[in-house]
Amino acid sequence: MAITHEFKYFRPTNLAEIIELLHKYGDKAKLLAGGTDLTVNIKENIEQPEAVIDIKAVPELSILDNGKDGLFIGANVTFTDLLEAKAIQKDYLLLWEAARSVASVGIRNRATLIGNICSAVPSLDSAPALLCYDAVVHLQNYKGKREVPISEWFLGPRKTARKADELVLGVSLLKPRGKHTGCYLKLGRYNGEDLAQAGLALLASASDDYKAAWCAVGPVPKRSSKIEDLLHGKSITPELIRKAKALVADEISPITDLRASREYRLHLCEIMLERGLQVCQMRLQGKKIDTRNILGG
Amino acid sequence: MSEYKFVGKPEIRIDGREKVSGAAVYVDDLDFGPNLLYAEIVGSTQAHALIKKIDVRAALKVEGVVKVFTGKDFPYQFGLYVQDRYIFAQDRVRFVGEQVAAVIGRTPQAAKRGAQLVKVEYEPLPAVFNQMEALAEKSVLLHPQMGEYSHVPWFYPQPGTNIAHWRKTRKGDLEKGFQEADLILEDEYHVPRYAHCALETHVAIGKYDLSGRLTVWSSSQSPHTQRNLFAEALGPLGLTHKDIRVITPHVGGGFGGKAGVTMEIIPAALATKLPGYAVKLRWTREQEFINTYQRLGVVAKIKVGVKKDGTITALDHKLYWDAGAYVEYGANVVNAVGLSAIGPYRIPNVSIDSVCVYTNLPPGGPYRGFGYSEMLFGLESHMTRIAKKLGMDEVQFRLKNAIREGDTTAYGVPMNPNGLIECIEKAAKAIDWNKKIVSKDPRKVIGKGFSLFWKAPAMPPNASSSAFLKFNEDGSINLIISGMDIGQGYQTVMAQIAAEILSVPPSKIRVETPDTDRNPYEWQTVASHITWGSGNAVKKAALDAKEQILSLVERVFCLPKDQLYLEDEAVKCTSRKNFCLPLKDFVVNGIMQLDGTYKGGPINGRGMFLPEFSSANCDPETSQGGHPNVHYTVGAGALLLEIDQETGKMRVLKAAEAIDAGQAINPDLIKGQIVGGLMQGLATVLYEDMRYDDKGKLLNPNFTDYKIPTALDVPDEIIPIIVEVPQPDGPFGARGIGEHTMLPAAPMIANAIEDALNIRLKEMPLTAEKVALAVVHKSKSKPKNKDK
Amino acid sequence: MAKISFILNEEKRSVEVEPNQTLLDVLRDKLGVKSPKCGCDRGDCGACAVLLNGRSVRSCLILAVEVEGQEVRTLEGISQPKLTQLQENFVAMNSFQCGFCTPGVIITATELLEKNPHPDLAEIQEALSGNLCRCTGYKPIFEAILKTAKRGRS
Repeated sequence: MAITHEFKYFRPTNLAEIIELLHKYGDKAKLLAGGTDLTVNIKENIEQPEAVIDIKAVPELSILDNGKDGLFIGANVTFTDLLEAKAIQKDYLLLWEAARSVASVGIRNRATLIGNICSAVPSLDSAPALLCYDAVVHLQNYKGKREVPISEWFLGPRKTARKADELVLGVSLLKPRGKHTGCYLKLGRYNGEDLAQAGLALLASASDDYKAAWCAVGPVPKRSSKIEDLLHGKSITPELIRKAKALVADEISPITDLRASREYRLHLCEIMLERGLQVCQMRLQGKKIDTRNILGG
Repeated sequence: MSEYKFVGKPEIRIDGREKVSGAAVYVDDLDFGPNLLYAEIVGSTQAHALIKKIDVRAALKVEGVVKVFTGKDFPYQFGLYVQDRYIFAQDRVRFVGEQVAAVIGRTPQAAKRGAQLVKVEYEPLPAVFNQMEALAEKSVLLHPQMGEYSHVPWFYPQPGTNIAHWRKTRKGDLEKGFQEADLILEDEYHVPRYAHCALETHVAIGKYDLSGRLTVWSSSQSPHTQRNLFAEALGPLGLTHKDIRVITPHVGGGFGGKAGVTMEIIPAALATKLPGYAVKLRWTREQEFINTYQRLGVVAKIKVGVKKDGTITALDHKLYWDAGAYVEYGANVVNAVGLSAIGPYRIPNVSIDSVCVYTNLPPGGPYRGFGYSEMLFGLESHMTRIAKKLGMDEVQFRLKNAIREGDTTAYGVPMNPNGLIECIEKAAKAIDWNKKIVSKDPRKVIGKGFSLFWKAPAMPPNASSSAFLKFNEDGSINLIISGMDIGQGYQTVMAQIAAEILSVPPSKIRVETPDTDRNPYEWQTVASHITWGSGNAVKKAALDAKEQILSLVERVFCLPKDQLYLEDEAVKCTSRKNFCLPLKDFVVNGIMQLDGTYKGGPINGRGMFLPEFSSANCDPETSQGGHPNVHYTVGAGALLLEIDQETGKMRVLKAAEAIDAGQAINPDLIKGQIVGGLMQGLATVLYEDMRYDDKGKLLNPNFTDYKIPTALDVPDEIIPIIVEVPQPDGPFGARGIGEHTMLPAAPMIANAIEDALNIRLKEMPLTAEKVALAVVHKSKSKPKNKDK
Repeated sequence: MAKISFILNEEKRSVEVEPNQTLLDVLRDKLGVKSPKCGCDRGDCGACAVLLNGRSVRSCLILAVEVEGQEVRTLEGISQPKLTQLQENFVAMNSFQCGFCTPGVIITATELLEKNPHPDLAEIQEALSGNLCRCTGYKPIFEAILKTAKRGRS
């Protein structure tokens, strides 16, 4: 259908060109990678940029580097790229499960992880995993480069620490040391694709170190320090799970909206924590668990 | 087992190659060249308001905008059963999204930009969004001039109120019936609105040429009815049926939403003011949600009395419908249910009140099931509950009370032959009804749900079908009919009927989409009636052609007609084994004689069907005395539902649905309707959820937040069961089934939830959230049990 | 206006477009390619799916200018020179009803079978989860794809 808003389209072929365009247009420009978020917003006149800068033709931004110590995901890397890359499922299971939960194939073939974190919608699936991995966001503008830890990236619904003239080059994650596992659980209204009404990422090490992060149950995705402190150094028992569940209401602040009520979200988050911890326990024991139907349905 | 060659066989569809190759043409695929203009609608932002002023000056200044039209340009009313609707809002708007103006642009962008700049000044009126509030004495009146609207004679509006129609059905003696009862159960059920969500949105193109001829291309289930409504609405402009042509290419799904006329009248009317141009209007998905028919909402109050032995003695069924701002079609939904809300049961004492109420929400209208899904949710939930209260198995309860051939319906007409008992027994058996199944997962419970269903076509007594049939030189046939294939496979079924009579295989029979200029009349493709109605017309046309063929051969070859028959596309003779005259040799060219003359010529068959026994005349206070419904199709469904007690998420493990098709013309297509219909029904009960704000604005007019089933939401196993108790006046005994397949879904789920969790939910949708919170609240209200 | 060139169904095509025109609109309105349909305009339904460099994408969410120099394949291309085995199975098994979602479904199924020639039911369901079909209830579509997958087994 017709897009009424008119804009200039640029397709730079190197990084310097992008930086220069951003310097020139600032907040009047929008960066275009997958476009699954931006194009809808332009159609509905939510975004009305003067310039759209297509970054897909810049090869440095398409890097997906799964190195010995860590992972670098460039701005053009799509969710399908993550899912198809060798060893991501093995080395970064949490991130892999989160990528798999995003929409459907047709969207994943275009949508990028960086686009997801730049949109900063409260229900974004990639955030809980990145928070658990303590990811770092790499940015660049005409002044130079800088880094922002993912815990400081999300400032509010659809608000990030990115300045108007900055390009996100990618995110880097350190590979967790030692034997570990994780899972990403997502609450939707049915089995089909849905925006998360609650999302929980858990990273668990065999040495009883835990990371837990939520999305869609507060204005920004965030880690659960109280729950992490409770779990730290202890092995999972039903009693520990019960105590952890009792902390959930303090750690999250869900609202009632079109998709789910506050009461249901609170109730389900406790269930998700319980089942997520049980999944981690089983996976550490070497059992193969598919988390897609872990909530039933 | 079918004794036929083509009827009863799972023939592959004749529109298959078109659809899988991308060759199938839908309205928006048509090209009209540079003379195509685009219309963009300005929709009301208010649910109920007077229109004070429409300022189009800024819109007219946009480059590419040609004209802007408002209600002043088209002060005409229209409507299928009641003329209460307008092409554009006149002095007031009655729902959010109602069309107030149209901007015409040379490009879609220009039209859209123009529409964004039209300024409308409203003076809000009190609005009502709930049928019970609209019924209250002090409620604002949506149609103060209701008494002036013309309507079909079998509607009973109540001017001075918001009641557009009130169908009363009274049989027997209700009070006596309840006195005879040993147990009475009374309760209330709520069903909200739903959206059709056909993948193709509504779209129509109008073209008024310089000779004064109007052609409309539309995605529609009803080309002839559309032409009729255009002629009525645009009559003041001097147009009659002769001047109007409706062409309907492939339809990307209808489900009732593309019946009658909704937005199509807009480009039809606009075209008359833009001679020489074609004007296209295509609904966006958002407009599709807010300004097309929606399924009506209903509040049902049910009171049933039974004897100890399970015999139902009385039923009092009151249904209050949220019918929306205009009820020109929706009032017939109310009517249809008012005649049938007894359900497929033998009940001697019945009172039904079906009340059609105006509200400031989008117009309610035809949706697969035509009110019966909504009605059966309450009734079949209620029947299960009452069986349980009696301590009786609910399948046995239904077997005991099921309506049989000859029993009277609610309006006093004997019930047609039907296989309801067989459907009940087979559906129950298919899921091992008597076996108790326990989930291996301690978090989950499994419940069983059962439901009967039935429906009759809701049509005026003169709804008719006609068919022309012509041969081509290669012996192939063109079947020229005006029913629409909206996905169900109608064209193939009609081909199978003609094939059976004429011995020409369906692959050699072309059935194309209609054009009202070329194709003979068909009322509408609705009501699940065209297998029956159009099938009868096609059969007659084929028999007519056969008669011509055999008479010609009798005449030319001096063979007695009663010894001639058709087989393998040739005329053969029982008394002369060697006689074999291929149809292609003469069905166009005639039969050449030795003297060089020809006998015969092109064979053209003609058939028509109108149910001459049907009548809507009846006593307005009791509905007795008429024959408003031609016949009922019946069935039963059973399912196994697994529920996660903590999350409320549900999974249908197995669903069986048995339906009496009379004679399955194409069993594979019936199975297709069962699978598709059941999915649609399950979606309405499990996750489709329309949300309005307190100002009548729809909050989720998109697929992001109005969830329809995906490939991941399919039940593990669906068991389709076809029962065949022939319909005496159906082609080869066939009866329609298209809508029926979604009817049992919602009550089956409600009943299964109660079976599994002992929780009765009475307000749809029954989402995972509702189930989970019901479990939580129930366990909170239980006294602490130390033994647990 | 800018002129873009790309490979469409194995033919080089050039067309003048504005930056704010989607690939879907340009295919349908300027290049005569009608098989991808507009079902929702937001990427929710899959009716507009086409193959871009071998991957199924939502053409309603792609600006035409983005496909400069790329390869686009639609159902028209897949159907030539003759229908694929997948398409023949759709016809034989009545795996469609109104046909509106069918182009998008076949695009997605084609991508699936090219990446994974022998998918199981769960993989098929996952791959198709972004293509909405209101008519069939999906089961006949699964059956056609499973049949195609089995046929290829050596």
